[in-house]
Amino acid sequence: MLEIRNLTKSYGDVLALDRFSLDLAKGEVLGLLGPNGAGKTTLISILAGTLGGFTGTVTFQGQSLFASRQLKNRLGIVPQDMAFYEDLSAMDNLLFWGGLYDVPRAELKRRAAEILELVELAGRAKEPVKKFSGGMKRRLNTAIGLLHKPDLLLLDEPTVGIDVQAKVSILDIIRNVGAAGTAVIFTTHQLAEVETACSRIAIMDKGRILAQGTLDELVRIVGERTFVEISGEFGAGAFSEAIQDMPAPSVELMSAGDNLALLAVSDTDQIPRVMDRLFGRKLAVTDLTIKSPSLETVFLKLTGRSLRD
Amino acid sequence: MRRLLHVFTNDVRRHLRAPLVIVVFMAIPLAMTALIGAVFGPKPGANALPRIAVLVVDRDKSVASKLLLGAFDSARMKEMFEVTVIGESEGRERMKAGRASAMIVVPERFTLDLMEWKPVALTVVRNPAEQFLPDVAEEAVNTLAVVLSGAVRAFGDEVRGIRAMMDLPLEAFPWASLAPELAKAQSKVIAASKYLDPLLIRLESEEVKTAGSRPAVTRADVFSAVLPGMAIMFLLFIVQTVMRDILAEREDGTLRRMMSAPLRPLELVGARILGGWLMGLAVLLVMAAAGRLLFGATWGPFGYFLLLGATAAFWVAAFFALFHALVANRNQAGAIGAPVILVFSLFGGSMMSPDAMPAAFRPIGLFTPNRWFIDGAALVRDGRFPLAAVAVLGASGLALLALAVPALLRQTRSAS
Repeated sequence: MLEIRNLTKSYGDVLALDRFSLDLAKGEVLGLLGPNGAGKTTLISILAGTLGGFTGTVTFQGQSLFASRQLKNRLGIVPQDMAFYEDLSAMDNLLFWGGLYDVPRAELKRRAAEILELVELAGRAKEPVKKFSGGMKRRLNTAIGLLHKPDLLLLDEPTVGIDVQAKVSILDIIRNVGAAGTAVIFTTHQLAEVETACSRIAIMDKGRILAQGTLDELVRIVGERTFVEISGEFGAGAFSEAIQDMPAPSVELMSAGDNLALLAVSDTDQIPRVMDRLFGRKLAVTDLTIKSPSLETVFLKLTGRSLRD
Repeated sequence: MRRLLHVFTNDVRRHLRAPLVIVVFMAIPLAMTALIGAVFGPKPGANALPRIAVLVVDRDKSVASKLLLGAFDSARMKEMFEVTVIGESEGRERMKAGRASAMIVVPERFTLDLMEWKPVALTVVRNPAEQFLPDVAEEAVNTLAVVLSGAVRAFGDEVRGIRAMMDLPLEAFPWASLAPELAKAQSKVIAASKYLDPLLIRLESEEVKTAGSRPAVTRADVFSAVLPGMAIMFLLFIVQTVMRDILAEREDGTLRRMMSAPLRPLELVGARILGGWLMGLAVLLVMAAAGRLLFGATWGPFGYFLLLGATAAFWVAAFFALFHALVANRNQAGAIGAPVILVFSLFGGSMMSPDAMPAAFRPIGLFTPNRWFIDGAALVRDGRFPLAAVAVLGASGLALLALAVPALLRQTRSAS
């Protein structure tokens, strides 16, 4: 349904998308995982048709996504901003935003009522949106993107700044939309969200996809090894020197920075040996975290840094 | 076009849902017009003299003094004088306190002395704190005295006859002699009326129109002159507020969302300008109607006024479309927009007449919509078509629009 090939976009000297390529099938829910600045929002903006000045191709349902303005009728966008009118009611907002698409007026009213039920706002349909809680606004923001029944739904961090209950509700909606046949690209930097809602996950950093697949496929990238995150008072060079002659398959330095390092170990017996080396060089360790193979460890392995960085 | 109208109607709906700012901006010019009209306009009945407070001390308490007081009771005299019969000491207290313009003292035996043709004196006590009101009272008393003296002389025989009867006791009063005296008086009245009624000379008054003189200015005229200046000034504020949405939507993400829909940038820009224009015109018409209802302001032929208002609102919408395409954000728009409007209003004649400005500054007004609208409104008020105002505002509005549309399109594309 969607084929992205070699999409490249720069802001001056900063490369936001670097020959980015991706395929998406009907009904697939793709979680695009990456830290801030990875290029997620740039990708969504280009696909939404609101950002130009790029190279590469995007084919949607067999034709260039940007060839015809009418193709936008098949796209649903849920931006990171709460992009609606706070003075209007939820129903009026839906009728306005839906009215920008080619949906007959009577059909639009019926769909607006349905979608308000879906996002559990039917009881507040007539109230000005400014009276809504943050979670309710996020649900309305999502509902606006779904109203015209798009074939491709693009959600840019749709769960930012809301409570757990609202987050669960939005993730449910995303899953259901995918199950109904809509292709979904959903950007986030919350690992748990993609683990919960997505049928496929792509890990993205510095404008490129580093790895993609199902959760199991991605976890296999790091194998059965355990990850150890060590914090303390040390420099990156001193830490690397301390463990440099340890056998590589058993202890592998994944990343080292000042005061923080990440190791992959074949089994947990290797951890005391590592600590001996560090103490022998008088490097102070203040914290140590053992991590089982997970999406987070995959991310750490691929990017060399934590998502929260 | 469908989407353009869809965005436009949504804008109208949003502003109707939160109309406070527009209502306030509409109320302010009406309030300012009321204030200016109240301060500088002619007051109702301003040309009439105030009623002159006159105190009367009646020591006589008889026929002649009653006749004198009765004269003050006529309709015409009541318009001019407020007469209070009062005791002498209290009267003098009031005069000292400055609470009356004059006090007339009718002496004792006033009636009897008159009947006997003896000289009598009416005393007029004047309030020294007032300039001409005591003169008016004194002249009125003098006139009444002349009339009364004349009447006594004209009916002298009859008055003397009656006066002689008055000294007799009531039981000895010669009722039979009274009738001939009255009959003689009646024949004199009839004879006199032949000469007096109808009057051969009647009085007509007319005002001389000197060169440059104008008809008397009414308060409605003042409102009619002030309101267009106020209306155009606050039209600028209202349209600026309405069109500031262009920046708000750029900042809050709604613009990006709209541009991700099948809405063309030109449709969005068109909707914004149409919104500013038609909402501005609607507000102007409401202000004009309110001015008519509240102050009796006159606007002239509705068709001419509608055309002038539409052209002015179009100019303002095009101007603020360009303005908002050039400024960076809402704060900048607020900081620059208000001074620009005030400069327009100052030099354009909304705040003061251009004639009151130094000659060197007057031409600046020609570059403001205020000046053209105010001048145009004055012509419309006189029933004339405001050709120059409509032509200048329309042509310069189109020029502004030609600059605004590409600038807004560029801004819309870059911001999304």
